[in-house]
Amino acid sequence: MAGLQLKNVSKVYQEGDFETIALNDVTLAVEPGEFIAIIGPSGSGKSTFLSVSGALLQPSKGEVSINDVAISTLKEKELSKVRLEQIGFILQTSNLIPYLTVLDQLLIVKRMGGKVTAQAKEYALRLLADLGMTSKIKKYPNELSGGERQRVAIARSFMNDPDLILADEPTANLDTKRANEVVQLIAQEVKSRGKAAIMVTHDERMLKYCDCVYRIEDGVLSREE
Amino acid sequence: MFLALKELTYSKGRFIMISLIIILISWLVFFLAGLGNGLSDLGAATLKYAPIEYAVYEENSDFSFSKSMLSESLADDLLKEKGVTAVAPIGTASASIRQKNSDEDTASKIDVLIAGIRPGSFMEPIVTAGESLQASNPAGVIVDRSLELEGFKLGDNLTINGSTQEMEIIGFTENQSLSHQPVVFSSLEKLREYKYAAPSSDNGIKDVVNSILIQGKESEPKEIEKSIEGVQVGSKKEAINAVPGYAAENGTITLMVGFLIIISAIIIAVFFYILTSQKTQQFGVMKAIGGSNWFIIKSVVSQVFILSVISILIGILLTYATAAVLPDSMPFNLIPSLVISYSLVLLAISVISSFFSVLKIAKIDPLTALGGKE
Ligand SMILES: Nc1ncnc2c1ncn2[C@@H]1O[C@H](COP(=O)(O)OP(=O)(O)OP(=O)(O)O)[C@@H](O)[C@H]1O
Ligand SMILES: [Mg+2]
Repeated sequence: MAGLQLKNVSKVYQEGDFETIALNDVTLAVEPGEFIAIIGPSGSGKSTFLSVSGALLQPSKGEVSINDVAISTLKEKELSKVRLEQIGFILQTSNLIPYLTVLDQLLIVKRMGGKVTAQAKEYALRLLADLGMTSKIKKYPNELSGGERQRVAIARSFMNDPDLILADEPTANLDTKRANEVVQLIAQEVKSRGKAAIMVTHDERMLKYCDCVYRIEDGVLSREE
Repeated sequence: MFLALKELTYSKGRFIMISLIIILISWLVFFLAGLGNGLSDLGAATLKYAPIEYAVYEENSDFSFSKSMLSESLADDLLKEKGVTAVAPIGTASASIRQKNSDEDTASKIDVLIAGIRPGSFMEPIVTAGESLQASNPAGVIVDRSLELEGFKLGDNLTINGSTQEMEIIGFTENQSLSHQPVVFSSLEKLREYKYAAPSSDNGIKDVVNSILIQGKESEPKEIEKSIEGVQVGSKKEAINAVPGYAAENGTITLMVGFLIIISAIIIAVFFYILTSQKTQQFGVMKAIGGSNWFIIKSVVSQVFILSVISILIGILLTYATAAVLPDSMPFNLIPSLVISYSLVLLAISVISSFFSVLKIAKIDPLTALGGKE
């Protein structure tokens, strides 16, 4: 089964004698074409859930598979290839590279996998246009507003045409209009290109774009009706 | 390369600081190397730059010109040895010279080393002014240019102190020095007339010389020692190290430059390590979006490479600029082979020291991208 599967996944952070159970026996499958939302209070384990799903963090227990490949069997090098080719990350803080222009932020993803082609450049420009960033492609991150940075990060996550999109509060710094556009864009990508997507959000108004909503509380995942 | 260059142009200020450190270090290294080489030239330039492979001495003379006495006729025997392509007999003597007709007590005198050679042999230096040695004029000598600074000119007649021998300067040459004395190249006849003037001071050896220098990479020193009675064959290096004081002096200089290079290595490594540490978060982001370790390492190492090459080149320019304003009396001789070898050493140090940063990069957890601010 393509898409993302988590089977009985737990994640425990160990700090000295102190243990935090950030994820507690989570089982979930997200299929291509499905867009789900995760909500929950601060510290409930949302970011941890995304890190585990996105091959950034190995679970303490259970198994995570991306496109039928169990990530616990992969080595560091293969993991980075999975992240590069199959996952589009939109991180909680937008995390751009300070010395690259907006356009280069997107092209660097291509560079990591090999060469930058003319098509890739065209694709990057189209993505940026979709997000209303055309006039800023030569700007550096410190010349952008928080919302603009977030939009660049979103465009970057689409750059390699990944199968799985993971977004950690992508609309946190955006006004309502932009927020709607961005989430619509993700929803549209998911539907038209058959991607699987998970979005962590605090914004209840964004939930209408999602196929279903999960709530996470003290590491326990449950479906919202 | 792409990332490396982008960052270099974006954070110019920071990289100018780092290249400044490397520029200063390479400046110091090249400058010291040049001074060291200049000093070692004073000790043994005439042998160091001589186009020779081996030197033949009298047995048990410790490769020392002053302890060795051979007959010039051995030169012909040596030429018959396997691999020997050319030979040059040489005799040396310390002397003090002054202008002819000057007063022995009050005139300024200069200590020199007279090297008697065959005119036209490969030991005869290239003249920068005047003419080369003539067999027809055994009193004619070629002298090191430092004598020019002491007021000697072409055509000057010289008297050797404490002797009746006279010589005439017919040519000047450059960078010829042995045992910290400028070298005066004369004919072998002239040398013998001065050095072995006292009866039987030549131990009865016919046409005495101190050593016979050999060209020929294929020559076999052990074979020569076997086939010719009473000789000892030393490599060029052994000959140079046997110059009195040279080995100790050169050892000191080498030690100094060596320490400088070790300390530089540590400083440069620390700088690059700090630079990398500051970028932990950034590398975390790259890893999170799928950059492999190799991708990041390539960019860091190529950055160090570019930075070092530029800084070292500037360091070389600065060194030559400094050398240009140094007084002539300062022994400074930075030869291209030294520049090249020290450049490569410095470059290797930078690149190798950036490998410490590489170890750090490999350990960065892509999760750091989630935590921090940008
Ligand atoms: N590296 C870590 N080491 C130890 N504990 C951690 C670590 N990362 C997260 N935690 C703990 O795990 C729990 C879940 O953290 P997580 O970051 O997943 O929360 P979150 O739901 O994303 O919160 P927020 O909405 O504030 O971003 C928290 O109690 C947090 O303190
Ligand atoms: Mg979070």
